[in-house]
Amino acid sequence: MQVFKLCLKILKKNIRSLLIYIVLFLGISTIMASSASTEQNTDFSFTKSKARLAIISEESTPLTAGLQQELAKIAHLVALPDEIEALQDALYFRTVSYILRIPKGFSEKIMRGQPVKLHKTVIPNSYSNAYLDLSIDQYLNSARLYVEQIEDLSQEELVQFLQKDLAVETAVEIKTNDRQAAKQTYSQYFFNYLSYSLLSILILGLSALLLVFNNQDLQKRNACAPLSTANVNRQFVLAVLVFTVLTWLVMALLCLVFALKDGFTVNILYLLLNSFIFALCAASISYLIGTLVKSPNAIPAISNVVTLGLSFISGVFVPMELLGKQVLKFASFTPTYWYVTANNRLASLTKFNYTNLQPVFTSMLIQLGFALAFFAVALVLGKNRRLQ
Amino acid sequence: MIVSVKNLVKRYDDLLAIDHLNLTVHDGEVFGLLGPNGSGKTTAINCILALLEYDKGEIEIFGRPMKPEAYDIKRHIGVVMQNVAVYNELTVEENINYFCGLYVADKKLRQELVREAIEFVGLQEFTKYYPKKLSGGLLRRLNIACGIAHKPKLIILDEPTVAVDPQSRNKILEGILELNQQGATIIYTTHYMEEVEQICSRIMIIDKGRSIAVGTKDELKAMITLGEKITVESQRITAAQLSALRRLPNIVSAEYKNRLLVIKSSKGSNNLETVLEFIKQEKIQFGKIYSELPTLNDVFLEITGKQLRD
Repeated sequence: MQVFKLCLKILKKNIRSLLIYIVLFLGISTIMASSASTEQNTDFSFTKSKARLAIISEESTPLTAGLQQELAKIAHLVALPDEIEALQDALYFRTVSYILRIPKGFSEKIMRGQPVKLHKTVIPNSYSNAYLDLSIDQYLNSARLYVEQIEDLSQEELVQFLQKDLAVETAVEIKTNDRQAAKQTYSQYFFNYLSYSLLSILILGLSALLLVFNNQDLQKRNACAPLSTANVNRQFVLAVLVFTVLTWLVMALLCLVFALKDGFTVNILYLLLNSFIFALCAASISYLIGTLVKSPNAIPAISNVVTLGLSFISGVFVPMELLGKQVLKFASFTPTYWYVTANNRLASLTKFNYTNLQPVFTSMLIQLGFALAFFAVALVLGKNRRLQ
Repeated sequence: MIVSVKNLVKRYDDLLAIDHLNLTVHDGEVFGLLGPNGSGKTTAINCILALLEYDKGEIEIFGRPMKPEAYDIKRHIGVVMQNVAVYNELTVEENINYFCGLYVADKKLRQELVREAIEFVGLQEFTKYYPKKLSGGLLRRLNIACGIAHKPKLIILDEPTVAVDPQSRNKILEGILELNQQGATIIYTTHYMEEVEQICSRIMIIDKGRSIAVGTKDELKAMITLGEKITVESQRITAAQLSALRRLPNIVSAEYKNRLLVIKSSKGSNNLETVLEFIKQEKIQFGKIYSELPTLNDVFLEITGKQLRD
């Protein structure tokens, strides 16, 4: 196993430059993790708020009184004079956010079952106003139902029915995976960013190794030894695989340290699998670059161009949603795009059935396809070089 | 017979690099392959080592055909290439250990062999040094140690002293003779005639991929007409004196240039005496006068019409 040991020694010699990327990854992940925990604390806290409502009623009936009573439960009622200037000022200075005008004849129309139109003046884009709209609609629709179904119904009776009905509350438990999904967003970020670090480390390590092994004088000297080419290649490939798996393990462990802080999920298992497949693909890209590169000085430059380029167009640094269609179309010809696509999909999954996982498996297969293609090209180029 | 090459032909497209080369190396000899740059020495060595495919011919080492997969033969060959081929990422000791390990699996034996090789090339003080920290001479010594650590029966050295200082060169040449005395057969290629004259028991001169002469250094020198070269430093020689000089017995040529009179004579015992007698008769004033025996360069010059280092 002389060749295998030699490969590991050469890789060990380059460990310092590789460590830079591990430290970089650690630093960015730590920053992400700390900002993530702050966001999580605020995201899931809930405070009930009430809109400030002014009701200008042009008539005074039991029905209008009932409506005012109902709305008082969900809003702060503010008394305002029915003067245009006063109303405008109240809206401008945010004394109220919603002014409801009940027109004359409102109660009579309701009791006859005729359509009614209420006038409202509101501050635009107010979420609490939407809740008021819903409540008013609910009150009027319920009233219409009672009028249609019960003959000779008085306003007092109608108000009583409505009060009783609208007082009913149902406790609703919303079973969503929002919290879990939020956690996966951070795991997704670590694993997406892992592609940059992993590819950088593999390109730097394997290119340095291949540069040494492609040295013609050394190849010649090794060829003089009683060692078959197949044996040498086997040992070399084994060393490449060991380095790839070790690098992936270190990076995956770092990811796990951050991702497992909020508990283990099935998503993480799939994210790990996806990152392993990407590691194989990254090794293949690195092998190709190592075959092409002729000077050790060129390795860092090529590594930066390839890793940063792929990361920027494939949604590692910038979310895919912010990238243009043309950019994404171009990126789909790179393995990083499919790695990030699978990660994004995995992070949003809460059920792991075949239908949900099928796009993920497709992305993984495409990555493996890229790995094979890059490796095949590297072998052909390597053979051509040897023949020259 | 250790190495036998018959009718070897190697072409690079239109260029005939090796032209029907025949060569035999006997057990225990230091065989020199002498020729100018581009004469085909390295190509011949690469063919012998099965590193290059050739167009025609037969190559046998230790009586068996040499092929890329002839690992039993390769096990007993040590190679020191023209260019230093060591790993910059490994120390001196690790480099020797690695190359020795390609031949010797036994770790304990290997440690012993590595230690011996380090001592042999005198790199004891540099075992933990990386190649980039070594001088050119030390690097060449490391290159040799990597090729000979496994104690091969046949050692092929392809111009191992190129760009080496005289002190290191002498050390290397002495080492090669020592290896030969320990029982190794050596094939030594160079374009330095002094080196082959110093260490080789038999020499082949090649040019344009062809063998132009083979033999011991004395046999090679005996092949040419030149017996002695006499040089006289003189302020003035007339044309008449030069013509008279050329008519003397055994004199092949006489040229006067830059105040140096160079007289070449064929083999004979009294050539210097005849020339001195002539100078005395003609009352020619002279400074130094000296006589040289023919060198391998003269052999090469006479056979090919050009200098070895042209």
